[in-house]
Amino acid sequence: MTAEEIFACLEEKFGAKRETLDKWGVTAVVSAAYLHNAVEFLKDGADAKFDMLVDIAGIDYLTYPNHEGPRFAVSYSFKTVAAPCVRVRLKVLVGEDSLKVPTISDLYANANWYEREVYDQFGIVFEGHPDLRRLLNHVEFVGHPLRKDYPAQKRQWLSTNDYLLPTLEKRLEELGYRVLQRSKEVEPNDNEFLEGSVKA
Amino acid sequence: MIVLDKNGEKLNLMPLNVGPSHPATHGCLRFMAAMDGETIVASVEEIGYLHRGFEKMVERGTWQQVVPYTDRLNYCSAIMNNIAYCRAVENMFGVELPERTKVLRVIVNELSRINDHFVCVAAAFQDLGGTTPFMYAFNPREEIMCIWEKLTGARLTNSFARIGGLYRDSYEGFEQDVLAALDSTEKALKDLHACLDRNRIFLDRTVGIGKISAERAISYGWTGPCLRASGVASDLRKDEPYYDYETYDWEVVVGTQGDCNDRLQVRLAEIEESVKIVRQALKRLTPGPVDIVDPRIRVPAHKLAYQDMEGLIGRFKSVYEGIRVPEGEYYCGSECANGELGFTIVSDGSGHPYRIKVRPPCLTQFAAFHELVEGGQLADSMAVLSGLNIIAGELDR
Repeated sequence: MTAEEIFACLEEKFGAKRETLDKWGVTAVVSAAYLHNAVEFLKDGADAKFDMLVDIAGIDYLTYPNHEGPRFAVSYSFKTVAAPCVRVRLKVLVGEDSLKVPTISDLYANANWYEREVYDQFGIVFEGHPDLRRLLNHVEFVGHPLRKDYPAQKRQWLSTNDYLLPTLEKRLEELGYRVLQRSKEVEPNDNEFLEGSVKA
Repeated sequence: MIVLDKNGEKLNLMPLNVGPSHPATHGCLRFMAAMDGETIVASVEEIGYLHRGFEKMVERGTWQQVVPYTDRLNYCSAIMNNIAYCRAVENMFGVELPERTKVLRVIVNELSRINDHFVCVAAAFQDLGGTTPFMYAFNPREEIMCIWEKLTGARLTNSFARIGGLYRDSYEGFEQDVLAALDSTEKALKDLHACLDRNRIFLDRTVGIGKISAERAISYGWTGPCLRASGVASDLRKDEPYYDYETYDWEVVVGTQGDCNDRLQVRLAEIEESVKIVRQALKRLTPGPVDIVDPRIRVPAHKLAYQDMEGLIGRFKSVYEGIRVPEGEYYCGSECANGELGFTIVSDGSGHPYRIKVRPPCLTQFAAFHELVEGGQLADSMAVLSGLNIIAGELDR
């Protein structure tokens, strides 16, 4: 199946619209409500199986010239691993008032970190994500740096590591263990913070 | 922490923090493992210690000013990143490069790949306690670095590619230098294979360690040598050919087991293939221009700026305002040493990038790290980590 045929299917099933900005490939704009179904269709339903999620990119259109519509977009790139490589992109528009997109981390394993990155950089919340924390920025970081209204020169005082112990406990439970007694270190100690740091 | 396992047995696990600056993590990576004796029961990772805000920084400059930033992504093969970025922007313009540029780009691409793979294998050996292979691998690497010095003026962060061409043409004697480097690469490969193929200690440390199935690797979005080690013949140079890669005679290297040993062996075999490609490319290298002639894309040569008005204006506008990339959104991935390096580019038609999102190959590989090390020994985690070749500059951006 070519990308054009895939788009025709997406248009018919999920009411996808063609993104005119993408003049080089196929980008389908779907509504957030249909996103999970559309991705499921791309992964398992179509003849050409898009078995790899290549990337998830957030976009902030705040200063984009003559832009109309919601401020944010999340863009998903898929490809087939088997040659010849077919690529297709999905795009979801996200308004500033809702900032919510359903997660696809149950379909692709790498979506977990990609979605965490978009949340970190743009503050878009992925509903149903198992562990939506910041990925690249610090746990104490305030704001979302890739938004166009975040000043690039702004400085923040950051001092502590991520508390990985609660995450580790969660991972143990996922693997079928039951935590009976927590480690003392789980509860952050006031002495661990430097003066002036934000206690997140 | 006290936990109950699946059989209802009580275990006392010790949380152990590794990193962020550990001698064997090659950059700032951190993971925390729940240890049962020497065995890792569960592990979680934290990244971002080298986050420099690449994507925010590039929005402040012009399109050409992104090139030096891309050097700092995978700094073991900086030129490859330059080329991957320039290729993405050139595709948006829809320009065709001169023949000589394509061939030169293939040559420096493959030499960078050789460099990158040598660093990975050498460092993996070093982490497992073998210092000799490090010396074997770094000899040809040094020769390639000397070529970079002559060709680009820098050893590590080269910034050699330009949108619509190259920083400059190759120097006199380039072909001889490359051939000499290829010869010592082949010699080093022999030495390395003699060192590791039947090395009991090395095999014990790497065979069957950090295994991942092809299906799981694809679900994690793995690309490049790590995916091919799991038996998937996926290589963008064959699947989506660019720079005439399909016309060269070479094979995609595929592993069978998807373990640590396969990941390193695939890299060594890929060096052999790269040597093949470079030898063929050298024969195709014919004299000609390296830059496209279009002042709206590639800045006119200095000589022209001193001679005629248009050249001066072209240079001035291109440097001060930046080139104007057609408005739109585009994703372009290139096969780099670690896998698919992709750029999602949003352009508003001005001289500055509106948004550039990097898709680093390392991120997806490190995201699967916990699955690779759980159930293994703590010491194995270091073998797994170096086999994945995580480059923090690219991982954290």
